[in-house]
Amino acid sequence: MFVTDIRKEFYDVVVNQRVALFVSPDIDALCACKVLQALFHCDQVQYTLVPVAGWQDLGTAFMEHKDLYINCSNVDLLETLQPEEDSVFFICDTHRPVDVVNVYNDTQIKLLIKQDDDLGVPSYDDIFRDDEEDEEEGEDSGNESDGSAEPSGKRRRYDEDALERRIERQRARREWEARRREILFDYEQYEFHGTSAALVMFELAWVMSKDTKDMLWWSVIGVTDQWVHDKIPHMKYVTDIATLQRHVSRHNHRNEDEENSLSIDCMRITFEYDLRLVLYQHWSLYESICNSCYTSCSFKLWSINGQKKLQEFLADMGLPLKQVRQKFNSMDMAIKENLREVIEESANKFSMKDIRVQTFAVHFGFKNRFLASDVVHAAAALLENVEKDETPADNFIKALDCLSRSNLERLHLGIDLAKRKLKAIQQTVASCICTNLILSQGPFLYCHLLEGTPDVKLFSKPLALTLLCKYLLKAFVCSTRNKRCKILPLIMAAPLDVEKGTVIVLGIPPESETSDKKNFFGRAFEKAAESTSSRTLHDHFDTSVIELKMEDRGKFLDALITLLS
Amino acid sequence: MSLLTLRRNFFNVHVITTTKIYRENCLNEAKTEGKSELIPSIKFRHSCLLRNQRCIAAYLYDRLLRIRALRWEYGSVLPTTIRFHMCAEEMEWFNQYKKSLATYMRSIGGEEGLDITQDMKPPKSLYIEVRCLKDHGEFEIDDGTVILLKKNSQHFLPRWKCEQLIRQGVLEHVIS
Repeated sequence: MFVTDIRKEFYDVVVNQRVALFVSPDIDALCACKVLQALFHCDQVQYTLVPVAGWQDLGTAFMEHKDLYINCSNVDLLETLQPEEDSVFFICDTHRPVDVVNVYNDTQIKLLIKQDDDLGVPSYDDIFRDDEEDEEEGEDSGNESDGSAEPSGKRRRYDEDALERRIERQRARREWEARRREILFDYEQYEFHGTSAALVMFELAWVMSKDTKDMLWWSVIGVTDQWVHDKIPHMKYVTDIATLQRHVSRHNHRNEDEENSLSIDCMRITFEYDLRLVLYQHWSLYESICNSCYTSCSFKLWSINGQKKLQEFLADMGLPLKQVRQKFNSMDMAIKENLREVIEESANKFSMKDIRVQTFAVHFGFKNRFLASDVVHAAAALLENVEKDETPADNFIKALDCLSRSNLERLHLGIDLAKRKLKAIQQTVASCICTNLILSQGPFLYCHLLEGTPDVKLFSKPLALTLLCKYLLKAFVCSTRNKRCKILPLIMAAPLDVEKGTVIVLGIPPESETSDKKNFFGRAFEKAAESTSSRTLHDHFDTSVIELKMEDRGKFLDALITLLS
Repeated sequence: MSLLTLRRNFFNVHVITTTKIYRENCLNEAKTEGKSELIPSIKFRHSCLLRNQRCIAAYLYDRLLRIRALRWEYGSVLPTTIRFHMCAEEMEWFNQYKKSLATYMRSIGGEEGLDITQDMKPPKSLYIEVRCLKDHGEFEIDDGTVILLKKNSQHFLPRWKCEQLIRQGVLEHVIS
């Protein structure tokens, strides 16, 4: 059931009880969790926070904690978890489509989802049917058996009528069921994402006038995460940024006066029309240009021609190589002053029209300035850190910590990890393109990362693999001359666990300017696995990511090809 | 604060050496009768005895201080591992200390007394956020609900329930 007044139906209910928060491992969920935690601290609501990495984790965690639940995922929970009658679930999730059972359950499941997202939920009568027909049938058959006392003529006529009616009803029912299957198929075919959960939570805080700059910053990070990991189309990102911009100006106007301006240590959020170069303020400009997806693909930096073009670009801007290779903070002030405009001008000449993007930056203290995308990359790198042998729960805690302002060293550590990750992605993409590892399988492109590939351990995690996938697809589209291949989606497989012999498989929709980011691989994977009885694990909350046994890879792919052609 | 087993064998050795030294001193003293040649050696042995006595007194006193600190850290019931290391006299001392602390606490703070072993640092809020550092199993709080303290789970709990566990190192106070 959708919650209409989030304050009355969710917060006021929750405020008097103990709550268990199940949070999935992605940055948007972490940010939503932080906002909600801040609200709970304010109102002293006791809670337990449990990170859950997938369905199995959710099941175990559910067994262990018996309170009111707030959660970040979206399938028929009642069936999967079998809770007791009086436990209530509040779901705040960005995965769409919303499961129909969750929508139409009035008592136990409440959805904290904005209804102005185009949800397209089928109407109740199309999917659920109150079963009167069964009773009637029962009656008829009862009548038939009782009818033995009646005179035989009457009974026969009665029988015929009853039989006709029954046949009619069965036909209508079959039609209804076929229509239902069709409607459900259309509804559940594509998976996409809706409004950021962090934004929903921030709006709750705003409605209660308990919003702070910290919460606003977290919701900015949540929305930016959706854009960085390509979960929402550009138009939606722009709309969400506009909403946030209103909140930012409201907060800024509150404090900035002539007489009492804020101390330099206070947090300031500013709206920026900044460059799309990843982490450029914490890295050198040169490195950032080489390792950002947008610039790297536009220049085609894996080829020698591309390198030459990059040198031309830098020369065109008049930036000396020595300056550009230095840490950004140590660059000449004269160069840094008009950097954005200079880069934009030159970028237009090299057909990179969108080098600037609307985003937000935060300042606190003299040294600390971060763009929202910087924090997203840092937190994602911390969340999926494979360097030390730590459990996912440890990494979750570290990533959660780095979002607080008091844990700057963690954030810097995250930025370092993110730099390494981006470099690894760049190198992998370059090698894949140069060695033609991407094969066209007909209805989709396929790429398999072999075990000996450097840094392949990084790509055993879904977020990192998603970034690699999108980067690779973009690079492929830029480098291939085959027009047909440009509109194909990409499936990527990377080794997950060498001992168990599993690979992680991920599918992304085709690359296009106006893509609405709808992903059909979830259902496709399920069907293919079913039809070939491959040993798969659909554990992730994102249905387009699955685990598969190495040996079943061949038949799984064949099934997919037949399914999708 | 760790308390190791009382080193009884040291005491035994000490007692033996002390008696030996003392007897020698007595012998020497008996031989003296007016002559002053053996007096420095007597003085020397005596100062050895005094020094040993001081060391042992310091050791016992340090143990007592640690036992006193244990009351503040663990509460009135000590875990068996620690009780194992204490000798009977120390237990006796501990019980006396407990009693006098309890009498004092009852006398201050009006009718019910005031538990001064709580809130060792001034509290900033009623509820604090804690993170579990190790698996501790189930934990019951005042209104009866049972929480499972699993490694890396975070909870928001009343401060007074968590203090003990924080001191024991099971929970960690998260400051954000």
